[in-house]
Amino acid sequence: MARMKFLCDAERCIECNGCVTACKQENEVPWGVNRRRVVTLNDGVPGEKSISVACMHCSDAPCMAVCPVDCFYRTEEGVVLHDKDVCIGCGYCFYACPFGAPQFPQAGAFGMRGKMDKCTFCAGGPEADNSKEEFAKYGSNRLSQGKLPACVEMCSTKALLGGDGDVVADIFRDRALKRGKGAEVWGWSTAYGKPDKQQAPKGAKS
Amino acid sequence: MSENKAKLSRRNFLLTVGASSAAGAAAVVASAVPRAQPVVVAGDKRRSKGYEATAHVRNYYRTAKV
Repeated sequence: MARMKFLCDAERCIECNGCVTACKQENEVPWGVNRRRVVTLNDGVPGEKSISVACMHCSDAPCMAVCPVDCFYRTEEGVVLHDKDVCIGCGYCFYACPFGAPQFPQAGAFGMRGKMDKCTFCAGGPEADNSKEEFAKYGSNRLSQGKLPACVEMCSTKALLGGDGDVVADIFRDRALKRGKGAEVWGWSTAYGKPDKQQAPKGAKS
Repeated sequence: MSENKAKLSRRNFLLTVGASSAAGAAAVVASAVPRAQPVVVAGDKRRSKGYEATAHVRNYYRTAKV
């Protein structure tokens, strides 16, 4: 059985936020909730890296472990989903998740948390496949339509990979073998200068 | 003698009450068992068609290899 996984290739991500927009559009995610975000490390410094982050559908999910009402479940493909009818909005999953995936609606009155919302790998929820109820609560169920998550298919540089974990791993392995790493990467000297001349001389104007 | 009779009737009464309450409890348990079935139904409800390596998906994998 295929196991669904996301993998973001930091060498390719150009921080365009296309994945974030695709997710918002596809699932009609409410205001204040971001199922996917692009995080930039060392922003503004040459060699900065961006990674697209959402629920990683962990094999040993901490959110599942801490949920007091046991609203999480894992599908046969390893996608971690939750039942909004069972969720009590306690926020334990929010504190347990190392990726900041669980989100809570911000539009409620008096700081009310409401039901948790997170990336579903575009696999909907416990309602009937592609029903109105499922779309309203969890968004699109592309997996049952024979497609992959909208963010993955939208990515223009194919930095964000997703789908069968074995295939994704093979694709990434091939890339890493072809391009090398660090200064061996194709185009590195064009973008950042030669490795030994990376730092501009003092007093130079950019 | 009459005291003994009164004690006996009280015991009978208590025994009857005890037996009937036990039977009642058994009936409640028996009726609760079928109520546990919806949990199994909820498990089925969570079953989805899921992932399939369709032509669309294989095309995506092909483009990601570029």
